[in-house]
Amino acid sequence: MKKRLKIAIYSGEIPSTTFIERLITGLSETGLCDIFLFGIKARRVTYSNKVRVLGYTNSKLHKAFYLLTYSLLLFFLRRNDKKKLDTLLLSQSKNTLNNKVKCYPVLWHKPDIFHLQWAKGIGDWIWVQEFGMKLVVSLRGAHINYSPIADKKLASVYCRNFPKVDGFHAVSKAIAVEAQKYGATQDKIKVVYSGLELTGSKPDVVRKTPAVFQVLSVGRPHWKKGYTYALDACKLLKDQGFLFQYSIVGGCDDIELLYHIHDLGLADVVELTDKLPNERVMTRMQNTDLLLLPSVEEGVANVVLEAMSLGTLILTTDCGGMEEVIIDGITGFVVPKRDSKLIAETITSISKLSENKRNYIATNAYQKLLEQHTKSEMITRMYDFYKHI
Amino acid sequence: MNSQKNIIQTIGIVLPTLPGYSETFFRNKIMGLVNKGYNVILFVGKEEGISNTLPCTVQILKSFNSGFLKNSYHALTAFFKAVLINPRRSYKLLLLERNNGVTMKRSLKNILINQPLLSENLDWLHFGYATLVVNREYVSKAMDAQMAVSFRGFDMYLSPLKHNNCYESLYKQPVKYHVLSDEMKRLLVSNNVASSQIHVISPAIDIKKFNRGDRIHNSSTLHILTVARLHWVKGLDYTLEALYHLKKLGIPFKYTLIGSGEERERLIFSAYQLGIIDQIELLGKQPHEMVKEVMMQADIYMQYSIQEGFCNAVLEAQAMGLLTIVSDSGGLKENVLDNETGWVVAKRSPILLANKIKEVVDMPEIEKTKIRSQAKQRVSSQFNLKQQQEKFIEFYKQPVAKSKRL
Repeated sequence: MKKRLKIAIYSGEIPSTTFIERLITGLSETGLCDIFLFGIKARRVTYSNKVRVLGYTNSKLHKAFYLLTYSLLLFFLRRNDKKKLDTLLLSQSKNTLNNKVKCYPVLWHKPDIFHLQWAKGIGDWIWVQEFGMKLVVSLRGAHINYSPIADKKLASVYCRNFPKVDGFHAVSKAIAVEAQKYGATQDKIKVVYSGLELTGSKPDVVRKTPAVFQVLSVGRPHWKKGYTYALDACKLLKDQGFLFQYSIVGGCDDIELLYHIHDLGLADVVELTDKLPNERVMTRMQNTDLLLLPSVEEGVANVVLEAMSLGTLILTTDCGGMEEVIIDGITGFVVPKRDSKLIAETITSISKLSENKRNYIATNAYQKLLEQHTKSEMITRMYDFYKHI
Repeated sequence: MNSQKNIIQTIGIVLPTLPGYSETFFRNKIMGLVNKGYNVILFVGKEEGISNTLPCTVQILKSFNSGFLKNSYHALTAFFKAVLINPRRSYKLLLLERNNGVTMKRSLKNILINQPLLSENLDWLHFGYATLVVNREYVSKAMDAQMAVSFRGFDMYLSPLKHNNCYESLYKQPVKYHVLSDEMKRLLVSNNVASSQIHVISPAIDIKKFNRGDRIHNSSTLHILTVARLHWVKGLDYTLEALYHLKKLGIPFKYTLIGSGEERERLIFSAYQLGIIDQIELLGKQPHEMVKEVMMQADIYMQYSIQEGFCNAVLEAQAMGLLTIVSDSGGLKENVLDNETGWVVAKRSPILLANKIKEVVDMPEIEKTKIRSQAKQRVSSQFNLKQQQEKFIEFYKQPVAKSKRL
């Protein structure tokens, strides 16, 4: 019988972000591989029996017990491996208890593939190759697009380690190009887009509030989300007398956004809400006329994919890999990054679209999802990628 | 309270930390008061790294956010002080707070944390930032001292957005306010504070230290400088966008940014994405001497903030004879007079800013010289340390007027 692949999906925390969790459950559902999760258990999650949760809670006592268990296992049963890893950690001045608690379980379970989700941690995990594990690194957002530009030390860590990596998973073609600047070779990179569970039939596009145009953004209040450009656009729209309401879900209490709204006199047209549970976000998306992604940096924003699956029109900037999913005038609308004037102008144009045109765009958008963003496609391609490393 | 002018007055100043060597504003104020015979006591929040080089005593205001044992010790000490040393004032504070709707728990806590203040005999209790007044609104009344509050940029423009009505109790008190600009005064008046209670005392600089004489730089590349914390209030993203437009206008330039802060990654990425990373130089935080040295080399000083109290660096740049372009936010438009001592551009308008830089570059040399000289003259006559000291002496001479609200 063919040996089942043992794949560790490592993000440092259990559970991880929505899209990483989708990968974990999707792979486990195939029944073709066993999934190992290492790292800190932030809360309890129930997975299928194909997923082994090997993490620890962030308490000193639990960590000490956990470390002791794996130290003893390695000491008595795989002493040479332990010695080799300790020497490696020592040579990199990483011979701390915190590092050991992270590394020993991985060494003990020795998955075939160690898939690191966040590239910044590569320096901590390159050692897995010394023990026959294949190292796969995901190329995602900030870790590739801007952190190494601002942090020269990180850039040199990438340049030193990227050529050694066995395989890269890129979330977009754009980020794959970016990663090559740090020594990731093209033949080792596979673009696998994020995937969603789709029903197969496109939802209708219904304009809920014809009098006041509803615009929505979803995401944490981080500068890369470009909300200040959206707010500057709101100011232009308000000055023109355009009737609209703009909401940022997840932007609540951010002082920069609060100040912009106050200073631009937008309190009556802009609402910042707290982070909402997924179902409520979906409802908000369904009830909005337009989802706006004013970001200056993204891989491929999942929130855009989710809105497309609900038949909501999209206006995005041309950042990162967004143009790989949103084709201007076909599957949504695209404006250049950092251009509030064009955001405002495009919102006005979209508000004037006929229902036929809106349906045409939404249908194309849904078709695009079916072509490149289904969960089954994502899982098949990822498994295929792991298998051929 | 001492009411006769011939008796030495004692002023307690509350600050978050001891003012560092480069913090001219508070240092100059304290020196001025001491030289005029006032007794100054500083109350600061941070215990660590205290090294007082000022001619005044320093008291620590315990924050009660250390470990359990340390907190218990501080609480017990404060409790004994409240009962044995300051029973009258502590009880008065309790009554004042309870009569004004403060909960018993909060009030008891306030009595403990404010013991260092209640233990001193002060004529004036001056809070260096309005945010420091929260939970101390009734302390000066309990100790029969006059109350003064300084508003800077952050506590006036940002704190109330984050904490709704955070100054509601403060505005009900008889307080003498110090603000940095007329704009800040207008904002306070809009909160129903009586205009007569608000005194504008602008920041000042040591003119002698900022005088570069003749320009020593003579390059075909325009050298633009900003000295600022790397924080979004400084509008540095908009500045970089303006520089992107400037590049499109075909003007060769080098932009130097002095300062450190949390937005470094954001700014570097912006510069990279805008294709101007090679024209940008981030020097991090630098000592005053280095700032002065870079100013010697620069042609234009730019402060395109979206929120600003007044800005000392803009005063220093003008004193150094730099051509200065600022945004119209906060006190900047009072700091620089448009077309007289520099130029004021509407905030958040990078294209306008780029066009203004080009306009200044293309300006006849005689016109530039005139602006430089007017700026130097104005800073020297209106924003010098001596004048600031005198204004503060004046500030404390008159007690708080009876009518505190409009």
